[in-house]
Amino acid sequence: MIEFENVSYSYAGSEIPVLRNLSLTIPEGDFVLVIGASGAGKSTFLRCLNGLIPHFYGGTLGGQVRVMGCNPAHEGPRKMARHVGFVFQNPEDQFVVETVEDELAFALENYALPQATMRKRIEEVLDQLSIAHLRHRAVSTLSGGEQQRVAIAAVLTLQPQVLVLDEPTSQLDPQAAEEVLDALLKLNRDLGLTIVLSEHRLERVVQYADHVLYLSADGESPVFGEPTEVMIRVPLTPPLVTLGKALGWAPLPLTIKDARRFVRQLQVPDYKLPVEPATSLQQPATSDQQPVTIEAEDVWFSYNGHEALRGVNLVIRAGEFVAVMGRNGSGKTTLLKHLVGLLKPQQGRVVVANHDTRHVSLDEIIARVGYVPQNPNALLFADTVREELDFTRRNHRLPPVDYAPLLRTLSLEALADRYPRDLSVGERQRVALASILVADPEVILLDEPTRGLDYRQKEALTAFLRAQKREARTVVMTTHDVELVANCADRVIILSDGQVVVDGPVRQVMTDSQVFASQVNKLFRDARFLTVEDVLG
Amino acid sequence: MFHPIAWLLWLGAAVLPVMLSQNPLYVGIVCLAAGIVYMVIGRYSPLAQSWSGFLKLGLTIIALTVPFNALSVHAGRLVIFTLPRTWPLVGGPITGEAVIFGASKALSLFTLLLLFAVFNCAVDQARLLRWTPAFLFEAGLVTSIALTFVPQMLRSMQEIYEAQAIRGHRFRGIRDLLPLFVPLLTSGLERAMQLAESMETRGFGGSLQSLSPRREVLVRIAAAVALLGLVGGFFTVTYFREGQTLSWTLLVLSVTALTLVFRIQSQRVRRTRYRHGVWHRQDTVLAAISVGLAVIILLIRSWARVTLSYYPYPPFSPWPPFNPVLGVALTVLVAPAMLAFPQSQMTNDQIQVSND
Repeated sequence: MIEFENVSYSYAGSEIPVLRNLSLTIPEGDFVLVIGASGAGKSTFLRCLNGLIPHFYGGTLGGQVRVMGCNPAHEGPRKMARHVGFVFQNPEDQFVVETVEDELAFALENYALPQATMRKRIEEVLDQLSIAHLRHRAVSTLSGGEQQRVAIAAVLTLQPQVLVLDEPTSQLDPQAAEEVLDALLKLNRDLGLTIVLSEHRLERVVQYADHVLYLSADGESPVFGEPTEVMIRVPLTPPLVTLGKALGWAPLPLTIKDARRFVRQLQVPDYKLPVEPATSLQQPATSDQQPVTIEAEDVWFSYNGHEALRGVNLVIRAGEFVAVMGRNGSGKTTLLKHLVGLLKPQQGRVVVANHDTRHVSLDEIIARVGYVPQNPNALLFADTVREELDFTRRNHRLPPVDYAPLLRTLSLEALADRYPRDLSVGERQRVALASILVADPEVILLDEPTRGLDYRQKEALTAFLRAQKREARTVVMTTHDVELVANCADRVIILSDGQVVVDGPVRQVMTDSQVFASQVNKLFRDARFLTVEDVLG
Repeated sequence: MFHPIAWLLWLGAAVLPVMLSQNPLYVGIVCLAAGIVYMVIGRYSPLAQSWSGFLKLGLTIIALTVPFNALSVHAGRLVIFTLPRTWPLVGGPITGEAVIFGASKALSLFTLLLLFAVFNCAVDQARLLRWTPAFLFEAGLVTSIALTFVPQMLRSMQEIYEAQAIRGHRFRGIRDLLPLFVPLLTSGLERAMQLAESMETRGFGGSLQSLSPRREVLVRIAAAVALLGLVGGFFTVTYFREGQTLSWTLLVLSVTALTLVFRIQSQRVRRTRYRHGVWHRQDTVLAAISVGLAVIILLIRSWARVTLSYYPYPPFSPWPPFNPVLGVALTVLVAPAMLAFPQSQMTNDQIQVSND
């Protein structure tokens, strides 16, 4: 049982409280989902549960927190570890030792448990999380999903009654995220473990949650209750729920299955008609008359014997918006790096803006092509956002310009003089975008632009990308995010094992696929409806 | 595979003759033995690299040391050719002795590298660190974390370098390091904070039992005095011919006191170990062979120093002397290859269920 009574908290050196008079009770064995925009206090709330706040972070904590009869603020995270297991966002950053088995033993060794007990507990958690086959592996060689399961196992060895996870899937691709969430559901159902999870991909978990806690960044009071009840009251919702709310469906459906019932009542005209070839539905932004911007001809590339690209052929015309999708390791990033000349094909050729990448310097390509890497942290180093932009302009030997319009479209104007590293993930992502776009490239390449973003940040990014499309810039992005693709892209390319397996207009590809389809499209199975806007008109 | 301690003894026994003798015949035997061990354990250890890389390294070392020695040392009777004496440094006779000496030095260097490569392949550093005394556990852990940090740093370095390159960043001077260095540093710090949080939530750091303040002070004073005694002992042993007995007594006393302090400190640590290294019969054999060889070499050094010495320049012969007994003794260094366990027994750290 977890109880919060009038809990308030503000970080050291900050006047503004992150949590304000929070009171709630979480019954034992509950699956609780914590949602809210970045900066709303999700991590803060979770860290109150095991005493990391105030023990690790300082600051002022008011009110009473009780977890399994203990007061975490009093006991501290070390003592609370036996009641509360805590798993962090980035699996790689929480590992202490090299191999899986030693990692699981780490907490037990710290508690000086006898070896026989350790042995028994480790065997148990290895089975509970189905990672017994990984026991001798080095943690750095595991996939993201495996790593996160090991991280969960490593805290479960102490047999806590509560498991707290801070956005455990935000750094993972959809398949890995699914693995982790399945493991959590199993733990909740089979062991009655109380799970408190913050997550921004609501569409995956909201149907399993017993309760949802919504925290707001704007000082509105938090909402705690049954999922449907909370979904009605909060602004950040998955497309399905947004649609349900707009059409006044009650009770609000949280799954495709529940929503199908309402779709039948809608009586969409010609719903049963077979899907027409997508080209007639979607007026392509470009026609064959447009000049070719990017051309890849039979591109092969391998890293230390592993073939990442195996004969990729691709023609992208000016003004197209292309999404490259596919499993992790299917060659998406490798392909993108070829398009900017960072990697040169070992066989075949890539022509970007009439330059064969094998024969021109990187400078000539980047004058036309901007590439935004997956991790904005790799880019940002200057003291202010403005200086980041100056740096790019200088590198490209471009004269200084007025940054205001660019900053406005990315809603960064208020942050121009802030230190980029202090900004939220979404803001940093946009600063990275700005620092590439300030050189005014014709072609924009984006690697996983929505990783770690919440709905609101995603919306801002979507709006921005659509504006780029209107300006007839060519955009190629790799992503796992089907909703983003449904909202922006004209064309989808699906890679598998280094080869192009699907290449077609977004509406056709989504309607044909079970996996690469947006929620709304899954609901209607109709090429006319990919997004909420498509339905509402 | 063998126990880390057994490997450590083997490494010591193998390094000893290489350090004490420049004689290429003896060093050559050690080198061959190490090579055989390297090939055999390479079958078990995925870490063992291919031979060709190592041979290339060896050739590079020879290519660097031989000409350097030949051009800079002009002593010896076997003159190959003569460079004009007016040329600074390199001018003068180029002698066979200098070439031989250069080659034997290269061989020693290569052998040392090979020995450490074998050790590296055979022993997982993380497991070796587990053998640090209990109270030094934290230092050991810090080292092992640092070791895992390095590959991650390299990966993020690559990522940062690429990201900045596409942004038009070019390396021209020291100031251009900033865009590479700052992201590396900040992401390293962020990762360190995250790790600290993760360790804290898994009960790390609460494992030291506190002593009473009085005993705490006593232990600290004892440690300081013992360390001072150690330094003083070494100093007097090295620089004063008289009073050697007193110096040795001081050394022995200091070491005993330090061991005692270590023991007390170790007993304070409330931690248990999941893995206990299993000491097999083969480990005993390897350890005995290694210690035996080391003792023989040390005895030879004390009683028949000439056997080990080798100096090709006049008045000595440029051809190395060879003592067959020592030569045969050195061949025992292939022991790890001969005793090597079958695959199934490989994990040294089998977990013993004990009754506690």
